Amino acid sequence: MTTSPERCCKCVLSSSFPTIAFDENGVCSFCRDEMHMPTEAATIERAQERIVELFESERGQAEYDAIMCYSGGKDSTYTLMTAVKKYNLKVLAFTLDNGFTSPAAFENIRRICDELGVDQITFAPSAKFFKPLIKVSALEEVYSPKTLVRISAICNSCISVVNNSALKLALEKEVPFILAGFTLGQIPANGIVYKNNYHFFRESREVYLERLRDSLGHAVDDYFCIKDSLLNKTKAFPYNVNLLCVEDPTEAEMFQVIAQIGWVSPRDVDGCSSNCRLNGFNNFIHQKNFRYSPYELELSHLIRKGKITREEALQKLSDTLQPEVITAIMKELAFSEEEIKAIGR
Amino acid sequence: MAENIKGKFLDFIARNFMVEIDEIPLDESLIDEGIIDSFGLIEIASFIESEFGILVKEEQMTRSNFGSVHLIVDFVKGQES
Ligand SMILES: [Zn+2]
Repeated sequence: MTTSPERCCKCVLSSSFPTIAFDENGVCSFCRDEMHMPTEAATIERAQERIVELFESERGQAEYDAIMCYSGGKDSTYTLMTAVKKYNLKVLAFTLDNGFTSPAAFENIRRICDELGVDQITFAPSAKFFKPLIKVSALEEVYSPKTLVRISAICNSCISVVNNSALKLALEKEVPFILAGFTLGQIPANGIVYKNNYHFFRESREVYLERLRDSLGHAVDDYFCIKDSLLNKTKAFPYNVNLLCVEDPTEAEMFQVIAQIGWVSPRDVDGCSSNCRLNGFNNFIHQKNFRYSPYELELSHLIRKGKITREEALQKLSDTLQPEVITAIMKELAFSEEEIKAIGR
Repeated sequence: MAENIKGKFLDFIARNFMVEIDEIPLDESLIDEGIIDSFGLIEIASFIESEFGILVKEEQMTRSNFGSVHLIVDFVKGQES
């Protein structure tokens, strides 16, 4: 007679996490599986070598060596700093303002780019498109549940627009690298460095693009796709590189290093974000729909790697938005009473 | 041989994408069926490289090669021979 615990006693995965099973000690199947997964270290080492080689061969050829998807959060700040200081890349920092970027994050962006001597541009899509996009992502089944194992639907929409806008910029300026601040746990080890295969990605996203078009019309293509006129001119696609995965600092190390170049922790965000006011709301919706947090997988990975403690992870998960903040965001996004009630049913 | 490739591949999909083996469709697109997202394709390409020693070229990442489990197994067999 065994009852399933609410969470794994080693990591923070919930009993409602897909395919999870617990042993008699309350340890989850993901923690047990981890014991015999020796391939990841070798994959990371290969990625590291490949990154150094690619940077060596491409550096200094274009106006910029890399476009950095720069949110102003701690992970992307650390990544930007590493690209500039350690790898000596000429970087153009690219920020997407979804309308909910924390003002403190913008102050960080300004300070850090000045300190590192980096050019920066912000793209703010019209709220006329973006607010309905957020709403549709929250209320309709746009993405498959598998995608939503590691990311909330709203974050996934937002990051898709970030990726597409950064790719557009890279193609226009013939920049060889796109950098992002993803960590292992957010992406798989073999996603650390890869050539952007736009045509295939585009094909593979068609199912959800069609769902978005049903609600939002063909404006979706302007934000999620690259125009043929640009693709036809393209000679080579950039590499996507996630430097943070090979640097692999602890969270404490990261905070310490970026504080030295002027990064200050924003106070108006939830425990899992260091730049976006919407993140806590996204987690709230995800939790309602799936009964686990979209951050559990990443935090559990970090715990197993010794990058944070289980207590720190639990602290982040419990640092959620106050109900009145959630209500205010819903108002800002023009949710109706019925829509709010329908969430998670 | 083909059964072996298929078995290894299904095992990989099940472990990596948190599905039960008998839930994996064999003739439909894993993406359309919501088993993997576009990142999953990168993982599959890397798996083919590390497990079977086959480097997947950019121009080979098409729906006709990667559109279903059976197509992927055929692709691997074709590259091995
Ligand atoms: Zn666990």
